[in-house]
Amino acid sequence: MVQGTEAIFLGALRAGGNFFAGYPISPSTEILVLAAEHASRNPDFKFIQSEDELAAGNAIIGASLAGAKSFTATSGPGFTLMQEAIGYGHEVEVPTVLVNMQRVGPATGMPTMPAQQDVLQTHYGTSGDYYPLVFCPNSVAECYRYAVITFNAAEESLSPAILLSDGFVGHLNEVVDLDAIEVEVVARSRPPLGTGTRFFTGLAHDEKGNPRTADAVIYKQWLSMVKARHEKVAARYRHFECQGNDSSDTLLISYGIVSRVIAPLAGQFAMFRPIRIFPMLGDELREYAQEYERVVVVEANDGQYASLVEREVKRDVVRVPLLGGRINLELARKGLSENLGKEVS
Amino acid sequence: MFKDLLKMELFPTSWCPGCGIGQVMIQLATVMDEMGLGHTNSTIISGVGCTGRMAGYFNVDGVYTLHGRALPVAEAAKLVNPDLKVIVVSGDGDLTSIGGNHLLHAARRNPDLTVLCNSNQVYGLTGGQAGPTTPRDTRTVSTPGGAPYDPVNLQNLMKAGGRYFYARTTVFHQVHFRNCIKEAIAWPGFAFVDIMCHCIENNGRRLGFKSAYEMLQHFRQTYKRATDGAETLEPFEIGIVRKG
Repeated sequence: MVQGTEAIFLGALRAGGNFFAGYPISPSTEILVLAAEHASRNPDFKFIQSEDELAAGNAIIGASLAGAKSFTATSGPGFTLMQEAIGYGHEVEVPTVLVNMQRVGPATGMPTMPAQQDVLQTHYGTSGDYYPLVFCPNSVAECYRYAVITFNAAEESLSPAILLSDGFVGHLNEVVDLDAIEVEVVARSRPPLGTGTRFFTGLAHDEKGNPRTADAVIYKQWLSMVKARHEKVAARYRHFECQGNDSSDTLLISYGIVSRVIAPLAGQFAMFRPIRIFPMLGDELREYAQEYERVVVVEANDGQYASLVEREVKRDVVRVPLLGGRINLELARKGLSENLGKEVS
Repeated sequence: MFKDLLKMELFPTSWCPGCGIGQVMIQLATVMDEMGLGHTNSTIISGVGCTGRMAGYFNVDGVYTLHGRALPVAEAAKLVNPDLKVIVVSGDGDLTSIGGNHLLHAARRNPDLTVLCNSNQVYGLTGGQAGPTTPRDTRTVSTPGGAPYDPVNLQNLMKAGGRYFYARTTVFHQVHFRNCIKEAIAWPGFAFVDIMCHCIENNGRRLGFKSAYEMLQHFRQTYKRATDGAETLEPFEIGIVRKG
């Protein structure tokens, strides 16, 4: 039996993670405790219990620059404080991993009832334009596998990458043989601090790192280079699940824990589950959505992903929000029945 | 030569004519040169602000972090690579205000970092607003009636823990200044150098100084050396207090 949080931590170790900084916050605290215990037994694994999430978010950047594969784990309010570090990591092009175990918000919200209310925050939470790679597991096995993949995506995109889970998946206990999960590990590419004369700056800069804060041409070249790199990396991870249904006119889209909870509805609907939730799987969504008259997004927030799906498929999408930390099949059935105008059993 | 440690091709720097930060940069480069520190064994990490730009002028790997976050970045880098000499340079506004919580806790955890704090007692880059180190009653653009609060006592803050290194110096007292940097770099823990520095354009002129030279003369006349072995630096005393 392995718990989701433990699988994430073990996945991080499998990926070569050797630095953790964090601040205790439920429901992610188990990962911090595991990191502390691991560091106490393994001197090569470094650990800081930071004074706050601002420090933790920036510490993983410093550790990465110094040569470590670094990560942190937090929940909604802490993730909000880490937004500045996420933006900084994108500007400076620093690979690192942030694990967000979502809970009901805004603010302190309902600690620690599970939610999916940080979906938009993962993509639109910091200033400027950036193109984060975000993965959303729905099982303990996937927690492990996608922890490794998030590290790989961070290395390949040279940016902070995000494993977006929730308190429900994080506290799932499932029987799984983690050693049997085959994953590749991408190595560090950038030489650590203390080997060159580089300048890593959060200011807009040229290819040498020298600040260029009033040159639109250089800025646009930089942004398009970064965007192209993220698109290239994203193309390697077109991860999703799909189950067609010839007898249904409706496609249900869900991700993370909600996709597990509503899995029994597969006989009545076609199902689509994005695992790489950002960048959006636009082509795939359009391809599958065109087969069905109606597209429905069931999610544990008030239609955050639905609004983005709508933009991709270019038509109205039905929203079925599961709010207040109560994520169960009965509520999903009720919400679907109300929104689709027919009884869903 | 200290010049080898600087990216001279980027000169002139972004700082105003008469700014004291150049002095901090030259003295740091001089000390690093003397101590054999360079791009293979050192990194300079800064916060945001005028002083923050210094990291980009050194011929070592430099990191210009976010406002206030130099210490978390530096502490993590040092933990990952203990052999690396990690030097933090930043302004008093950055380190004590927006980075104040990190300063408090970095000092408590006592990592082997050297922190050079450029104390010009004002937010220079944003045009001269008051900060936590601005003396009471000082007129700035954000305190037109005079700063209403007593400034933070950095010496006492640094001495709050059982182990500390706090040096106060000025950009005028160059030999003393260099010695402070040298001893701070050699100190095996968190070493904080509080450097009294002048900002003529966004503070000095408003205070009535006509030139950077006048501000330097002010440091010369106001600051005196503390007696050897003093455990506390009195106001306007320069010196080092430490406990290992």
